[in-house]
Amino acid sequence: MSKKDLLMKSRGLLFIALSLVFFLVWPSIGWAQALREETEKTAQHLAILLNVGRLIIERNQALIDDPRKGDKGFTPEVFEQAVVDEFIRQTRIDLKDLPSHLPSLAKELLPVLLQSSKEVVADAQFVINQRGIGYKNFIPATFGSQAGRKFSNRSHVKIKQTTLNPRNLKNTPDAYEENVLRRLATQPASNIPITEWIDNETTLRALTPIYYSQDCLACHGSPRGILDISGYPREGAQEGDLAGAISVQIPVNRSR
Amino acid sequence: MAFYDRSSILTSMIIGRSIISVRSIIPRLLRRLKKIGSQGTVLFLVALGLFLQGCGLVFDAVELVHPLMRDELSAICARGQFRVGISVEPFRPFVFPAVYTDEGVRVTGLDVELIREVGDALTTYCGGQKPIVPTLHLTRFRDLFIEMNEGHLDLFVSSIGGNVPGARPVGLWYSIPYFHNGGIGAMIQKPEVAEKVRAEFQRQAGNPDTLAAIQAGISGLTVAAQKGRTSHLYAEANLKNIRLLICDSLPAAVETRNPGIDVIFSKHAILDYVTKHVWPDWHLLTRNDGTPLILTQEYFSIVTVDEHRRLQWFLNNLLYRLEESGRLEHMRRRWLEEDYAPTRRATIEGLPFEVSKVPEHYDQGQCRLATGR
Repeated sequence: MSKKDLLMKSRGLLFIALSLVFFLVWPSIGWAQALREETEKTAQHLAILLNVGRLIIERNQALIDDPRKGDKGFTPEVFEQAVVDEFIRQTRIDLKDLPSHLPSLAKELLPVLLQSSKEVVADAQFVINQRGIGYKNFIPATFGSQAGRKFSNRSHVKIKQTTLNPRNLKNTPDAYEENVLRRLATQPASNIPITEWIDNETTLRALTPIYYSQDCLACHGSPRGILDISGYPREGAQEGDLAGAISVQIPVNRSR
Repeated sequence: MAFYDRSSILTSMIIGRSIISVRSIIPRLLRRLKKIGSQGTVLFLVALGLFLQGCGLVFDAVELVHPLMRDELSAICARGQFRVGISVEPFRPFVFPAVYTDEGVRVTGLDVELIREVGDALTTYCGGQKPIVPTLHLTRFRDLFIEMNEGHLDLFVSSIGGNVPGARPVGLWYSIPYFHNGGIGAMIQKPEVAEKVRAEFQRQAGNPDTLAAIQAGISGLTVAAQKGRTSHLYAEANLKNIRLLICDSLPAAVETRNPGIDVIFSKHAILDYVTKHVWPDWHLLTRNDGTPLILTQEYFSIVTVDEHRRLQWFLNNLLYRLEESGRLEHMRRRWLEEDYAPTRRATIEGLPFEVSKVPEHYDQGQCRLATGR
């Protein structure tokens, strides 16, 4: 056998070996990639759902704080239906009939967060339905804190509201969140979450920014430093300023 | 109203059962003894004597097994919690309406801070191994007494006046005061009401009988007071020539339009707070020199049942210590004089309560004309 033939043969063997390695490794690379995408998608949906809950509370704020009404009719069921409708509007996903293409993790966690949110509204019924009492401090922020905590206690996923200057110290950002929040504060407003895989690609961190709307400014607007209705100093914020973020943390078991 | 201790009920049940069983056994035994004769009678009496001695031993054993039944403080230590009643009708600044916080639903106020002090002292008393936690039962004012009577509460704190005639139902015990600068005051909306009252005080200047001036000044007016509260008792007892409206709560009195209310009676400290912070359209009724008109003095006490001697001493000793150390004075200043947001204080130091224990939703109720006056 000539030298040329030997070279050709060895090249052929190398090609076969490489092809074999490629066909063996590709599925796991693909699987890992799919897992990443599914986890990121789930984090995004969870953040949207918590934010939708906050939005429904905000829309019903005048009703909740109406001192002339006793029973407000803002029941957990009414809240749930409003959340379901708004979630469909924002994502085209029906929480009552989750589509098959949704990641399995999202299918598992979205109902848990919806149930946790509903329970927060149920727990607050006594406060909401007090007659003769105006401001009851049942606001998007307090709702979000409790819903996030209830959900996090029931799953391996952590979700919380955070901001650089939190009124509730339990919402204080960790080092990672603080870093991202500082970055977000200097960037133009965007609803796109900041996602990153940390700890050797085993944990997803996702922060979805929240911006101040006009309704928020009654408590968080000007004049800065003057106490708002709940007794906290106003932040002096303006519409569109970064209010904080919904932080989702999902650990992933890659050996699955 | 009769109040029964659980232990006495249990003991009487045991005795009752024993009597019933003995009653059913005795005739049968007698019939048999008749058959046996007089010797048998003697034997029976000896056996009965031994049995009765045994009864004493049985009761001693019961007390050894259930020592907690006769000592309410030991029961609290064993439970790890004490049950406190609070009136659901708001009486700021002693208890503010429940608000939602990041920690859940919370109540706060001077009375709530006092409950925390009681909890801390009980924790120390019970050995400090585990905290003794207050479980708050928010209930309507009138139901506090029933709840206490039925043994569902260890104590209640709701700015309860302890020294006004007729305020103490039988079977309840009132502590030494934790708030003694109180009194029944009045608030008004229309300036002409104040002028009428002040004119009467002017006319009676020099007369040491201020009640006569109050009676004449308030005469013919429509006066509202919360049902069962000391202001209600005062109006019933002292003011005959008024239209008295009995209201379920202070907010109900404020909201009532028909008939129009001239004066609302309530605790001065509460009226002082609400006229400044809640209902600025209402003003304290004052004397000619501008000082608030106080109809009578009253002090606020913690309430428990008559039988709970150890708890009573515990509460009195605690209140005395808090007064002596200046802690109570600090608490009173903090809630009555400082400028603060109740919601923020509720978030930081408020106490949770069992939502299932409160009425379906707090309805402030309404007012009705007092009948039979």
